[in-house]
Amino acid sequence: MTSKERILNKCAKAADGAFAMPELDDIAAVEYPDPLKQFCATSEAVGGKVVELADNQDINELVRSLFPEARRIASNLTEISIADTNPDLVENACELNGTDLGIIRGEFGVAENGCIWIPQTMKQRAVCFISENLVILLPRQNIVNNMHEAYKRISFNDYGYGTFISGPSKTADIAQVLVMGAQAARSVTVILI
Amino acid sequence: MKVGLFIPCYVDALFPEVGMASLKLLRHLGVEVVYPQGQTCCGQPMANGGFEKQATHLARKFEDKFGNFDYVVAPSVSCTAFVRHNYPSLIKDCKVADKALDIVEFLHDVLKVKGPLGRFPHRVSIHNSCHGVRELGLSSPSEQNIPKFNKIRDLLQLVEGIDVVEPERPDECCGFGGLFAMEEKAVSQRMGCDKISRHAATGAEYVTGPDSSCLMQLSASAERLGLDIKCKHVVEILASGL
Amino acid sequence: MSTFHSKSAKSFLKDEKYSSWHDKTFWSVRQKRDAMAEKLDEWEQLREKASRIKLHTLSHLDKYLEEFSGNAEKNGVKVHWAADAAEFNEIVFGILSSHGVKKLVKSKSMLTEECEMNPYLEARGIEVVETDLGERIIQLKGQKPSHIVMPAIHLNHDDVGELFERKGISDQPGNHDPSYLTYMARLSLRGEFLSADAGMTGANFGIAATGDIVVCTNEGNADMSTSLPKLQISAIGLEKIIPDYASLAVFQRMLCRAGTGQPSTTYTSHFRKARCEDGEMHIILVDNGRSDWLADPAHREILKCIRCGSCMNTCPVYRRSGGYSYSYFIPGPIGINLGMLRSARQHSGNLSACTLCRSCETVCPVKIGLAEQIYSWRQSLSGLGTFNRSKKLMSDAMSLVFNHQGLYDAATGAESVMNIVPRDWMPFGLRFPRKPFHKLVKEDDK
Repeated sequence: MTSKERILNKCAKAADGAFAMPELDDIAAVEYPDPLKQFCATSEAVGGKVVELADNQDINELVRSLFPEARRIASNLTEISIADTNPDLVENACELNGTDLGIIRGEFGVAENGCIWIPQTMKQRAVCFISENLVILLPRQNIVNNMHEAYKRISFNDYGYGTFISGPSKTADIAQVLVMGAQAARSVTVILI
Repeated sequence: MKVGLFIPCYVDALFPEVGMASLKLLRHLGVEVVYPQGQTCCGQPMANGGFEKQATHLARKFEDKFGNFDYVVAPSVSCTAFVRHNYPSLIKDCKVADKALDIVEFLHDVLKVKGPLGRFPHRVSIHNSCHGVRELGLSSPSEQNIPKFNKIRDLLQLVEGIDVVEPERPDECCGFGGLFAMEEKAVSQRMGCDKISRHAATGAEYVTGPDSSCLMQLSASAERLGLDIKCKHVVEILASGL
Repeated sequence: MSTFHSKSAKSFLKDEKYSSWHDKTFWSVRQKRDAMAEKLDEWEQLREKASRIKLHTLSHLDKYLEEFSGNAEKNGVKVHWAADAAEFNEIVFGILSSHGVKKLVKSKSMLTEECEMNPYLEARGIEVVETDLGERIIQLKGQKPSHIVMPAIHLNHDDVGELFERKGISDQPGNHDPSYLTYMARLSLRGEFLSADAGMTGANFGIAATGDIVVCTNEGNADMSTSLPKLQISAIGLEKIIPDYASLAVFQRMLCRAGTGQPSTTYTSHFRKARCEDGEMHIILVDNGRSDWLADPAHREILKCIRCGSCMNTCPVYRRSGGYSYSYFIPGPIGINLGMLRSARQHSGNLSACTLCRSCETVCPVKIGLAEQIYSWRQSLSGLGTFNRSKKLMSDAMSLVFNHQGLYDAATGAESVMNIVPRDWMPFGLRFPRKPFHKLVKEDDK
């Protein structure tokens, strides 16, 4: 007998089927009068920054003004013209090390916790983590209240990876002092488009 | 309504005044209360220490003494909780489990006492004993997001001249825990000292609670730290001046 | 009358300043958690749902395991099954050696701690680098975690600063500022990520309906570990499988709120496939005792645990004794229970570390009866032969006295009450009443 068979047999014997799956649609989950406002407040609370793109404002100019020092910028978004590295064209993900700014797209935001759904849409997803600073472009009408709504909405493509990001990488592992910028992006700026 | 008064062993031996106050208070409220002689211990100390079997005889004895009352009332939350929650698994056809009430519950929920009680012109800090909070529901546990309530506070507020406060960390354990206090002496003493310090920080002259074992731990801690704060069971305060 | 825990706790408490800091630090995490719970009117409803989803999944675990592994395989993932720690370690080593891996970067996993994987791989020439900052610190220090969520919490910034100086990670001697130290660790770990041949993660959840492995981190280290190397291995305990995304929503909302008092971890990552065409993703499902615990109705519900650590943070005994006062590598209420399941004989010395205050059960996001389980383990101690003799004598004496009215009357008569009440319980100045209540009331009734 393989370990798989042994484990499954033991579980089958022990699992008595006694408990039905509870109803989950009746959860009285939090909703906000203005989800976008709540999303912005939560994002700031988790260490992120939210900026609105004004009508007729050029996204590249806005990013440039936010990160005047950034030299190496990585993005595969067609509207981003200031990028000098395209994560779709990078053969070895390690080459993205040293990226000052990564610019990616988020599908929707979650008001209750500042999460943004980022399905992998580039060959090297490392750009989402290895960049010193991360800019996420997020359509401002795409905000849901809570994670129940969020998980009804997520979808995967062929890359088979997706993540919720809520603010910059952080740690409090040294003496419980909160420090932004542990192993991944040291800052996250959400640009509402 | 026939009410049997259960006075747990350590209250009987060490805090007879708590028993007397219970009797006085219940009689004052017009309750027909009987103290059946020959009662000893509910068995909780042995069971919590890991010797539940030794509690079985005591549970049977308890059932004999109290089975025919409408309510069994005790001035001790942990003993009441043990009778209510553990007896049904110890003895067959247990009748007393559902009738056992801590005196705070009895006054608050059954008698629904609203009228004036005694007089106690002092600042009093409530000690929310763990088993009162988390096993009998005398107050809303600080861990839970449910509407806030506190039956002890409700009753104390019927006492004339009293100033009721609660400490920071209002329902953290005092560290008594029965045999825990012996096996884990260092942690137990530290918990007791931390707890009484928080009570003292409220400026209270008295700590009051529904369980004399917690209060015993707290007064020992007060002496250890040289704090001028006294402990009194909640029934003593409710009955004071009656 | 002392136990492993009580002896270790006693020495922990000798340093009053440090032990106070420890207590306050974890209490503040509990308070952050409370603030999160209070912001959600549905918190108690979520706890109930979470508990019931887990009970349901466990009571159908064989079906969900098959669904999970079937879906993962459809996604091209290689699924392995490990009956115990030894088989798990062999599988990991087999995968790594067949790919010629010299260096493995990994995110935090209590499962790999449980299986003692790191020393196993290191003995076979594979360098293992922990990439969660706390785990990295204790790895460099040669220690075990003292808390499952904050593994290096027992060290202060000076300890870490000196460690980093010794290991050549920091370049400014005497600079022990946490921000600086975190930055230097970032630079050091960046080098490790870039030179690793494989990445490993644990798993917070496995989703049966999709075959996804879900990993929650604040640092992004699980994502760094798996987006640079092409080989990914994820280790998951059988009990971490949940049915679907609707269930995941419930747990995602609770895990971090309960654990650290944040509304979410920074990263909630869903791994479904190998990250590139020439990459590989392996999932190892680990039993290592879990199927036995599942078969034990008295303790099955321990498998509901999502490892948030909130029972430790709220436990008044954990806060005043620290993670190293427990003999099992997971401390606190959940650790007492897991240790007993792992080896009752070896870990019964932790059972004393509980006042039965039940704060743990009331905090627990999946409503595990942690104190109830400890109570029930205590009942089985005498059968194990590990019970405490003087405690048993005490209990026997109480039992004798309480069962015999004559003895009881004599014992409660006067100062002979000392015979039944332990000396340590006596407040210094407690005066023995002249008469017990049962005699006073007789006189009163006359």
